[in-house]
Amino acid sequence: MAHSGIEVLFEGQNFARLIGGLETTIAIAFVALICGLALGLILGVLRTLKNRVLRLVLRLYLEFFRIVPTVVLLFLFYYILPKTAGVNLPANEVAMLVFALWTAAEMSDIVRGALISVPKHQLESGLAIGLNRWQLYRYILIPQAVSLEIPATINLMTRVIKTTSLLLLISVADVINVGQTIVEANSKQYPNSVFWIYGFIFVMYFVIDYPLSWWATRMNRRRLERVND
Amino acid sequence: MTKQIYSVSNLEKYYQKQHVLHDITFSIDEGEVVVLLGPSGSGKSTLIRTLNGLEPYQSGVLKFKGQEIQPDEKGWRKLRQQIGMVFQSYDLFPNLTVMENILLGPTKVQKQPRDIAQAEAKRLLEVVGLSEYANVYPRQLSGGQKQRIAIIRALALKPELMLFDEVTASLDPEMVRGVLNIISRLAKQDKMTMIVVTHEMNFAKRIADRVLFLENGELLETTAGTQFFENPQTDRAKEFLESMDF
Amino acid sequence: MKKSWQKVVSGFAIVVVLGLVLTGCGNKSSNSSDNNESTVAKIQKRGTIRIAVFGDLPPYGWVNKAGQRVGYDLTLARQIAKDLKVKIKFVQVNANNRVDALNANKVDLVLANFTVTDERKQVVDFASPYMKVSVGVVSPKNQVINNVKQLQNKNLIVTKGTTAETYFTQDQPKVNLLKFDSKTQQFNALKNNRAAGLADDNSYLYAWVKNNPKYTVGIKSIGPKSYIAPAVKKGNKSLLNWTNNEIKTLTSKGFFEKDYDSQLKPYFGSEVKPSDIILDK
Repeated sequence: MAHSGIEVLFEGQNFARLIGGLETTIAIAFVALICGLALGLILGVLRTLKNRVLRLVLRLYLEFFRIVPTVVLLFLFYYILPKTAGVNLPANEVAMLVFALWTAAEMSDIVRGALISVPKHQLESGLAIGLNRWQLYRYILIPQAVSLEIPATINLMTRVIKTTSLLLLISVADVINVGQTIVEANSKQYPNSVFWIYGFIFVMYFVIDYPLSWWATRMNRRRLERVND
Repeated sequence: MTKQIYSVSNLEKYYQKQHVLHDITFSIDEGEVVVLLGPSGSGKSTLIRTLNGLEPYQSGVLKFKGQEIQPDEKGWRKLRQQIGMVFQSYDLFPNLTVMENILLGPTKVQKQPRDIAQAEAKRLLEVVGLSEYANVYPRQLSGGQKQRIAIIRALALKPELMLFDEVTASLDPEMVRGVLNIISRLAKQDKMTMIVVTHEMNFAKRIADRVLFLENGELLETTAGTQFFENPQTDRAKEFLESMDF
Repeated sequence: MKKSWQKVVSGFAIVVVLGLVLTGCGNKSSNSSDNNESTVAKIQKRGTIRIAVFGDLPPYGWVNKAGQRVGYDLTLARQIAKDLKVKIKFVQVNANNRVDALNANKVDLVLANFTVTDERKQVVDFASPYMKVSVGVVSPKNQVINNVKQLQNKNLIVTKGTTAETYFTQDQPKVNLLKFDSKTQQFNALKNNRAAGLADDNSYLYAWVKNNPKYTVGIKSIGPKSYIAPAVKKGNKSLLNWTNNEIKTLTSKGFFEKDYDSQLKPYFGSEVKPSDIILDK
């Protein structure tokens, strides 16, 4: 058989290193998503309250994390904050922190959108049986909002996972970073190593992200069916 | 001696500059059925919603059983356990089963023991003939069934006053009768005090002890039920009755 | 009373957000920016030196298939750690964040093919150089360019933004330049006979001709020399002086010849001598 170059994946420790990089990627995405989604739910609820100052602060928070590119956020938290604020975190923690804060910002908007799209008469019926504001959120608004927001949340998750590919910029040994070192180390011996290594990384991201996006589509279809009942 | 349940004195309400309720004064006694009539946009729904704290108002005094109501969130919340309300839109909570819908108020707001609340809910379901639907979700019910459940969800709190805001307006004609029969039975058999906004004239005639006729936010007349339908006091009410189907 | 409840909630929210921003998941907020975290004494007390290296630039700093970091810079890095009697922690950087890594206290020392320039001297302190590079010109063996005069009125390939482009634009106006955006493009252009030769850093060209034997680096050095040196954070006199002494000692011991033989020679082939790359004793 001709040298396709696929052997580059299995040379020495290459495969184990790619998997190790993938584990780093998944660990960071997982922690960031758990913290970010939980915080985002709280912030989203707070953004539906009447307090104007609070709403403005949270709005600014959202816009900051939405407008500033993730690359810049990573640089800011990894390189700038240690200089100006004296906060010097290891790269992996910076990655989790930045991604969690970003997820929380985006999630707060999803949650807020879902909460305000629960029909007003649902809220009034809740008030009419004497529920207080907390009970209203707990039993009526949040459960209904959650089913509205699941597709958007899953899309957010796939975006966050994809964006972890930026982490090599702050020296995190994620799967892309490891892949790049393998490509450069083997480019002489295997001119096609770029193809195989990035192909492998593509498959890995696909394996993680596709089920999520499939699930999102399915949930969305189910929700539409329910609405049309 | 009859006991006064709710009284309204000199109630004024504006939406921005529009004067939607103009110097409204009336009261309702225990066991009485008051029907609010009037053309669309006359302020009937606004008035009945104001009675339950769903609409803010600018001035006037509201009293429940002789106690002046403090129009803040806490004051209204306490009162809403004693005033049941059913709306025009199907307003069951779609994320909860029929049983959970009914139990939410009694168990979470009134902190009744679950088994007692559940026994009462079962009894109420039986009364309206929907026992077999306890564990289904609202989306599996017809409009009429949903409104019957909404009524017993309000009754489960054992209110002293019921407010019905055009509860049959969104229903298909064949569903209307069942819902109205439940309200009639509640009025006649259980002597429930109630304020009803409706466009069903025969029904209004059948249950009204008193009719309040509103137009443009003004209370034009307050007349005993039978008398209103046979001999209204104002020309406007006369015209209104003539334009309606019976 | 509703207001006070909302105030409590909003206060809570602001505290949560600020708390997250300031402390994060792990808190080491005591590191102040002005303190020099990278003096020799502090490194030795810590027991670890943090060195910024490349991970994707063979043969200077890269990762072999066993997963080990190797290369000309890496051998030096290990020797430095050994002589400081500390362990070593590598932080992989790319060309754009070498300066930031130092300034943000992420590393103590940069050993990442860092060329000394006047602009960079403003923001970091360079120690004595351990390697020299200059512009070279590669050409086909059957039409070798040995002298810059042969290039007059001929096409020469360069990559935008390189030292080679600057040098030929300013000092050799009679040479026609064909400019490209990437290394891949420039070498393809040469193979397609678009020009008489191609100019780039000579160390880079040596490695390329090793794999393209029809070509040779006919002009090994032209124009000003550039130097590759270790860098420390601006003002870190302690580590700077130590590193200067270290480079001096290692140079006199012949350390860099050995480093050259083990890391660079296999990539450069026989036409290159160690003295083309490393500095004189």
